[in-house]
Amino acid sequence: MSTDVAAGIEAPTRTTGPLRLGPREFAPGRPLVMAIVNRTPDSLEIRRVVPFIERVRAAYPGLVISVDTWRRESARAMCAAGANLINDTWSAWDSGLAEAAAESGAGLVCSHVGTLTPRTRPHRPAYEDVLADVRARVLRLARRALDAGVDPDSIVIDPTRDFGKNTRQSLEQTRRIGELTATGWPVLLSASHRDFVGETLDAPIDGRLAGTLAVTSVGAWLGARIFRAHDVRATRQALDMVASIKGDRPPARAVRALA
Amino acid sequence: MIVSAAICPSPPLLARELTGQAAPLPELRDACAAALAALLTAAPDIVVVTGPAGLTADFGQHGRLDLAAYAPALYTNSDEPALPLSLGIGARLLDEAGYAGPRSFRGIGVSAPAEACLRLGRQIAASAPSCPNQRIALLAVGDGSARRSVTAPGYLDERAAPFDESVARAVRDGEPAALAALDPELAAELMADGRAAWQVLAGALTAEGATPGGLRGDVLYEQAPLGVAYLVAVLTPR
Repeated sequence: MSTDVAAGIEAPTRTTGPLRLGPREFAPGRPLVMAIVNRTPDSLEIRRVVPFIERVRAAYPGLVISVDTWRRESARAMCAAGANLINDTWSAWDSGLAEAAAESGAGLVCSHVGTLTPRTRPHRPAYEDVLADVRARVLRLARRALDAGVDPDSIVIDPTRDFGKNTRQSLEQTRRIGELTATGWPVLLSASHRDFVGETLDAPIDGRLAGTLAVTSVGAWLGARIFRAHDVRATRQALDMVASIKGDRPPARAVRALA
Repeated sequence: MIVSAAICPSPPLLARELTGQAAPLPELRDACAAALAALLTAAPDIVVVTGPAGLTADFGQHGRLDLAAYAPALYTNSDEPALPLSLGIGARLLDEAGYAGPRSFRGIGVSAPAEACLRLGRQIAASAPSCPNQRIALLAVGDGSARRSVTAPGYLDERAAPFDESVARAVRDGEPAALAALDPELAAELMADGRAAWQVLAGALTAEGATPGGLRGDVLYEQAPLGVAYLVAVLTPR
């Protein structure tokens, strides 16, 4: 536990400063929505994904490209093709991902999956304190990323809903996400269409927008900065609304009762 | 000595901070800027700003628009006292025009009788006895009827448009006496708070010897895009 606390103390407090993911920088004070290129489900991922990344990179030079992968060789090849952020959803199953990010100048998402192994589903995950477990894990990984040479401005933490959690546990860490944003590391919130939203609202995949936006709004209010979204326009609107309630963003056009 | 005079409205939306990322009514903003430029062309020694307030009062020489009254999040600690809306908008317009000279803020009670308004105007025109040749620019800030359409703050009143037209005509014709004759009761019914300010202006311009050669009136803006009549005008002594 002591090393985790140390990592927390050393974390740069960049709650409003610019985020740099790889060479790409984002305006401060505004959450960003990123496009995520998902991994393919087998060892063909390099051959399948790399040409796609190359095309996206050529078409959108300024876009952040995040790739989900848990293998260092895949990460290297995707970064060489133009990816900026390695989304290590499986929580350093391959300990070489941090080195791959450092060598490539890419960012790294440090996540928590409990005791899961890649591509498995959680089975009765139990924690004494789920958020303490998440916090300890992601801070340890952030520390490792720093030691491996990943740019400190490009390290992101992700409590990772559903992965290694039941619905109550995902709700708990949503409620307490402020304890993660308080570490100073930028927090990625990946709640869009998740099962815990579906179970909470008894809603099928295509009926989870309202629940997703509620989680998004709570997370933004508590300081999360990166949002994984399916419904990009609606998510952006929800985030703009939260930013305006916070006072970080002026309304688009206000004339009501000011005539 | 009144060397120039102008009329501007006082919607809070003239304050850029309040309207968010958009700058609504650009024509109104441009007209106000043009009126201020004309007002200041006369190289005044002082600009007197008058406008409706809760009570008739001299607010002194310093003050600012109270933005926090309309957007609490915009509160800032300031040494400058917060002014009533009309005077605050006047201060803001002077700031935007780049005017750094002396100012005087004279509030007129929104329901003050016409004679009280005219008297205040004459006082302003007479200046201080210590500086008899002071060149005074007078900025009257106030709005026409807020009952110009069914979506207006006060709903539609058929008498509103003719009332506002009579004000614009008086200005265009350089006839401050017609402003002096406006009916305060009707103006109040029409939610035309600018009446008091216009009558202060009329008092100043009709003061003895104030404008011996008469006045030229230019109306720069005369519309009610949001249900409230906005009049922007310049009155220049000949």
